[in-house]
Amino acid sequence: MFLEFVEGPLWYASVVIFLVGIAIRFYEILARGVKPDLAVPRTDGTAGALRTIVSRSWTAKGFSSGAVFHLVAGYMFHIGLFVLLFFAAPHIVFIEERILGFGWTAAPHWVFIAAANLAFAGLILLWLRRVMHPVMRKISTFDDHAAAWLTFIVMFTGCMALLEGHDGLRALHMLSVCVLMIYFPFSRLMHAFTFVLSRGYTGAVMGRKGVQA
Amino acid sequence: MTHLPTEEKRQRYRRGLRWAMALLAFVLIVPLIPYGIVAAEGQLGSNTADIWRDARNKDQRDAFRTQIQGIETAVLINNRGEQWRTFREKQLVPYGGYLLLGTLGLITAFFLFRGRIKIEGGRSGKLVPRFSSNQRVMHWFAAGLFVLLGVTGLILLYGRYVLIPLLGPEGFAITASASKEVHNLFGPIFPFAIIALMLMFGRGNMFRLLDFKWFLKAGGLFGGHAADSGYYNGGQKSWFWMTVLFGIAISVSGLILDFPVFGQTRELMAGSHLVHGIIAVVFIAASFGHIYIGTLGMEGAVESMTSGYVDSNWAAEHHNLWYQEMEKAGMVDVEPNALEEVKRHDDIDFKGFGQPNPQTKEG
Repeated sequence: MFLEFVEGPLWYASVVIFLVGIAIRFYEILARGVKPDLAVPRTDGTAGALRTIVSRSWTAKGFSSGAVFHLVAGYMFHIGLFVLLFFAAPHIVFIEERILGFGWTAAPHWVFIAAANLAFAGLILLWLRRVMHPVMRKISTFDDHAAAWLTFIVMFTGCMALLEGHDGLRALHMLSVCVLMIYFPFSRLMHAFTFVLSRGYTGAVMGRKGVQA
Repeated sequence: MTHLPTEEKRQRYRRGLRWAMALLAFVLIVPLIPYGIVAAEGQLGSNTADIWRDARNKDQRDAFRTQIQGIETAVLINNRGEQWRTFREKQLVPYGGYLLLGTLGLITAFFLFRGRIKIEGGRSGKLVPRFSSNQRVMHWFAAGLFVLLGVTGLILLYGRYVLIPLLGPEGFAITASASKEVHNLFGPIFPFAIIALMLMFGRGNMFRLLDFKWFLKAGGLFGGHAADSGYYNGGQKSWFWMTVLFGIAISVSGLILDFPVFGQTRELMAGSHLVHGIIAVVFIAASFGHIYIGTLGMEGAVESMTSGYVDSNWAAEHHNLWYQEMEKAGMVDVEPNALEEVKRHDDIDFKGFGQPNPQTKEG
């Protein structure tokens, strides 16, 4: 009964809030527009935007030593989560049956285990760093902690339900997924989509000024 | 169409029935003939032991063949399973339980007897930096994994005795299923946490003569002044090495159990399970002491792992030699300065951050 509710009405409501929320956020960002640049552009802004979108995927020269922890733990978490989300067998079945109507080959079991370990270890390390590092602690807000914990809970309940033998555990996982999807558009989790805009904007502005950002 | 007289019909029916009965008897009796021959020769009784020995494959002979190819698939009855089950139920579970509950009882009795160990001189308000944020991150990373794996492991070991009365069979089945998945998935991360702990806390944790003096005075736990102590005292060094050695053993045995795809035999799996279970129970019991003395048992201790700073009076009372070094280095009464701390971390220069000076000879 509870599983039917979570996978039925609550799931559809979460999807609607997720999609509409993301659309509103994108509209808000794009509607702000860009300040008119009266100076003659030195180089093409598009090239600068594309370059910065890629180059911000690693630390800038001179900042490497202080950012090793974030770089390594960050990639551990994000790559692990990506593999879990799109290549775990139960997720592919769900995507095929409930969303797209087609699926693809799941990752081998050992890849799944490695990805889960990387994702969990990375997320825990990043959050601990946020709490323990004096500067990180000061610049962190409730949203940062809530996003980290919600993501962890989704992953953890997914891990609990791995055996796929009990509806209660599956319902718990789906419930946490729905909560995360509802929270997503109104939180910093939006960086999953907006990083392209922010990096692209910075790169374009700097590119027109002739600066490699 | 021929109409047979009734008597003739009856006779044909009886003849058919007799043939059918004879055929049935033949089918049933023929397979017994070899047994009859063996029994007549007096061999059946003496062969029973051989048959059961072969079934258990005690002599490691290739006595049976099977279509399923794999490790020990031709062994009909594997004694190791029964031996493992008996040890687990008759020894590991009860004695492990006594150890865990006994340790908790002793700690409770000690707390009631000794109370919380206070900072004798009270808090000075002067702070001394003790652990860097990197050290604290790795400590809590390992501690979090330890608690998660410990709780799920205890549910798997004691759940049917403790949780079934509380949650019922269905509730326990769900809890056990979730615990098993969590335990198996988080388990492979633990070895990396142990390696990180070794790297982050290894320096300064070698035993010295000083530590044995500390042991002789029981670290001042029962009153009186503890012996001289550097950055780590004897108790902390013992816990560090216990963590390293138990951590390695529990990781290796856990990986053997978690990935049974490398041709492990039943014997190796059962042995690993016993090693894993015994060490886990002892490790968890020992951790009760570490957690107690680091939090409730001693005033001012937990701060070293939360903020990274300790009160100078705490440092002088429990790690007097290290405190003297810090005093000389001008590291007492420092303001918790975030930027300064970050700078120290980035330089990876622990000299000024309370790490033991390798030049200093203790004891």
